[in-house]
Amino acid sequence: MMPLAFGNKRSKYRVVKLPDSHLLKALGLRKGTEFTLESKHPFKGPVVVKVGCRCIAIDYDVARDILVEEV
Amino acid sequence: MKCHSSHTNKRNISDGKIKILLMGNPNVGKSVIFSKLTGVHVNSSNYAGTTVDYTIGDVSFGRQCGVMIDVPGVYTLDAISEAEKVAVNLLKEGADVIVCVLDATHLERNLDLAFQLKEYDIPIVYSLNLVDVAKRQGINIDVEKLSQELGAPVIPTIAIKNKGLIEILRAAMKLAEEECVPGSKLTDEERWDKIRDIVAKVQTRVQKKKVTFIEVLEDKTIQPWPGIPLALLVLAISLGVVVGGGKALRAVVLLPLVKDIIQPALTNLVSLVVPEGVFRNLLVGDYGILVIGIEWPLALILPYVFLFYVVFSFLEDSGYMPRIAVLADGVLRRMGIHGGNIIPLMLGYGCAVPAILGSRVANSYKERIIIAALVSFAIPCASQSAAFFALLGDRSIPALVFVYLLSVLVGLAVGTIVNRIVPGKSQPMLLEVPNLLWPDKDAFKKKIKLRMKNFLIDAEGPMMIGIVVASVIAETGILNEFSKLIEPLVEGWLGLPKEASLSLLLGIIRRELAVLPLLELDLNMLQLVVGSVIALFYLPCLSVFGVLTKEFSLKVSLLIVVATTTTAFLFGGVINQVGRLILGAM
Ligand SMILES: Nc1nc2c(ncn2[C@@H]2O[C@H](COP(=O)(O)OP(=O)(O)OP(=O)(O)O)[C@@H](O)[C@H]2O)c(=O)[nH]1
Ligand SMILES: [Mg+2]
Repeated sequence: MMPLAFGNKRSKYRVVKLPDSHLLKALGLRKGTEFTLESKHPFKGPVVVKVGCRCIAIDYDVARDILVEEV
Repeated sequence: MKCHSSHTNKRNISDGKIKILLMGNPNVGKSVIFSKLTGVHVNSSNYAGTTVDYTIGDVSFGRQCGVMIDVPGVYTLDAISEAEKVAVNLLKEGADVIVCVLDATHLERNLDLAFQLKEYDIPIVYSLNLVDVAKRQGINIDVEKLSQELGAPVIPTIAIKNKGLIEILRAAMKLAEEECVPGSKLTDEERWDKIRDIVAKVQTRVQKKKVTFIEVLEDKTIQPWPGIPLALLVLAISLGVVVGGGKALRAVVLLPLVKDIIQPALTNLVSLVVPEGVFRNLLVGDYGILVIGIEWPLALILPYVFLFYVVFSFLEDSGYMPRIAVLADGVLRRMGIHGGNIIPLMLGYGCAVPAILGSRVANSYKERIIIAALVSFAIPCASQSAAFFALLGDRSIPALVFVYLLSVLVGLAVGTIVNRIVPGKSQPMLLEVPNLLWPDKDAFKKKIKLRMKNFLIDAEGPMMIGIVVASVIAETGILNEFSKLIEPLVEGWLGLPKEASLSLLLGIIRRELAVLPLLELDLNMLQLVVGSVIALFYLPCLSVFGVLTKEFSLKVSLLIVVATTTTAFLFGGVINQVGRLILGAM
């Protein structure tokens, strides 16, 4: 288990724990959601993940609070 | 509203017409459907949050009349964000029927809202939109089955091609007459389980062997490498199109049109009616109101503004903007705003007014102030850029580059400072990156037409006023008095001829008017740069002042005015003094 922000590009993860954010839920990121990490960006830029077939950019600080495990 | 493109005409809608709410997630095509069905043009773009407020339009089907409301897109009905509050309020006011637009490429997430809507006792018809894109992605949805699962009609649509929209209207009108049983209230988990079930039943995906070019682009554009160089390339090409194309358009079409056709015609006309003398000169003399009043906006400004909006609208509709947002987040968050705000900032290069209004949706007060400050300070609008191109473009490209580089540097500084001094929190970026789409021709044309119309209405009036003011104060000698008054500032500190005070006066009205009078003066290189730098940071125009006051407060707008003007004179003066020292030493 590790924070999403430290994940690797192109790896698949499952959400274990995530902050109670209204928008995260709305965008379809919930406990148990599986996704691919698409890209990470320099200067603490966002982490882009692909859930199903859509991409969501997640702020670096938020991505640090999301705990994931590799699948 | 100045430069503002969404027309919200709220009418009394309790006159017996059928009330249709058009709802759905952000960026699923609601505004396109609305525009096609009502004929009322509303802005649509390929990113979430284009529609902030709601818009009402009339629809009719056979003998039935109705009003349709384009509700801002929302992911949930939790009434937390501004858009959600608007949506929930509209729902609570009640309606006869809801048209719920579903994005066929993201069915699961879209159904989440659909089920929340079912809890209200309003009948729903579903528009399964973007089926063309879904097909391209290998997604197949069994419409019949989905309709059974939802217990309501589901109609596949391709909004931009006008496919299925009449059927939607027909179904909506029919359902409006019927009674409706509200769905049972589900907990979040129950709802998600149910949705997962439904999606598993109705959706099949074919794994495609071939990856399409668009898919490769979609992937590459959100990687730092090659995304960032690609973005820079796109920006460079955009700039090339606007600057180069504008210059060509001016030289080939607009200058001949104005100089050879319009101006002689006007001169002849006026000569017939107005006897020779001061008054005729005032109208059609070398700097006559009708001469400059047409040449400046039409031949100098318009081509650049037009091309700016062509390029901007293209980027907007293609879905590229949110990708730039992802790439820019690392830099923008240092200024207390998240990457998504690159969109209003870029819009500011067109006009500051829609940029400031456009920041209204998802942002906190702090972020809005930062955006407003950046836009007012350091982002020249399209009209002003056009004036810079005209002033510096022919004389010295390095000077032009210097002015824009300075604007970016000051922008970074302003953002950082405002971020420090304004209390409050900034929101983190949580942004959906849309599919890349080839912009729809009709929508694209309409959008540009609307933006150009707004520009002409907003710009021509104040421009004419400015030019009238200019000729009157020049004729009556007021300008001379004023020039004498501020001579120490203009001549001593800034090293400009005293006639340049006209720029300072007119610059109050519109930003480009702070630049254009310099065209008529015979300035040396240093003076050109100083004049441009002052114009760059000088007052935001009157419309912007109005919007700042309305959106924030008089205090905020006055503060911005004082800060920008001080910066203008400080930088202008320092550049002049330092420049002279260097030139003197050489
Ligand atoms: N290919 C394709 N593109 C579509 C279709 N419907 C809409 N679009 C495009 O999708 C984008 C989003 O459309 P909008 O009408 O602005 O979306 P909206 O639902 O009003 O979005 P918000 O106002 O942000 O809630 C635009 O670029 C449209 O041109 C469709 O059926 N097929
Ligand atoms: Mg819309």
